[in-house]
Amino acid sequence: MVNDDGQLYTIEGVAAALILLLTAYMVVNSTSVYTAGDTHISDMQLEVVGDDALKMMNTAPNSSVDKTSLQTIVETGDSAQFRTMFDTIVNAKTGTDRDRIQFMANVTCERDGVVSSVPLSESSHMFAGGEHAVRVSEWVIVDSSDCTDPSSGKHAVLVEALVWRD
Amino acid sequence: MARLNDDAQWIVLMGFVVSFALFFIAILINQSTVVGQTTAEAVSEFPKTDIREVRGMIIRSEFLSDENDKTTVQREIRNLSLSRHNAVVNFSSNRPGGLDPYTYIEIHYNNGVTAYNETWRSE
Repeated sequence: MVNDDGQLYTIEGVAAALILLLTAYMVVNSTSVYTAGDTHISDMQLEVVGDDALKMMNTAPNSSVDKTSLQTIVETGDSAQFRTMFDTIVNAKTGTDRDRIQFMANVTCERDGVVSSVPLSESSHMFAGGEHAVRVSEWVIVDSSDCTDPSSGKHAVLVEALVWRD
Repeated sequence: MARLNDDAQWIVLMGFVVSFALFFIAILINQSTVVGQTTAEAVSEFPKTDIREVRGMIIRSEFLSDENDKTTVQREIRNLSLSRHNAVVNFSSNRPGGLDPYTYIEIHYNNGVTAYNETWRSE
């Protein structure tokens, strides 16, 4: 015959098991927070890629050329050339497919003692403001540009690019 | 008269042990996310490329042939660093003189979090 002793213990056991399960669920659930510790890795990689691209563009192809591509681009304000070159460098991957890195570049300089920026170039996807972008920059010494004082002489300008992956 | 029931003391003890263990595990997991946060902040805040670039630019500007160009470019380096990189950049140079054939440049960079100082010497 079925013994019906200890029913209270059984109920208590079931209640305890439920409480344990609930606690375990809460503990496990709380670890799925997406922390900054995870995002910075891809940010750093993106920063390195963008910075290297600008550095490559600011390096003369050989010693007989005295202006780098980036210098010429800033001096002439050649938006299309910057787009082609930067796009090719940052989106190059092993194999034939391409990465999805987008960018928006500005030239910042000092004019009449005031620091101002002029847009240089941007990729096909416009910067809308919601992207998680990193900033990369490169110093260039130019003879003249849209941005600097029209007076002759060399000027230091800063090419800044917002880079993001979409 | 009802007497104190001292059965199942082991079960109660184990219940305590398990609940404390869970509590400590929860604290460990909680702390681990904070560790990731601070590491990420330290990595993102360190202006590695800014320092590298401004350093290269200062050295390049020192050897511009035209004296006017040099003054303009060096003023612009200071102003642009302050407004775009939020960094105070200062530098001064010692050209070769007497028996010393080297050019020395003292470079100071400070963005409030990271300070970088260097005395550069030409090869």
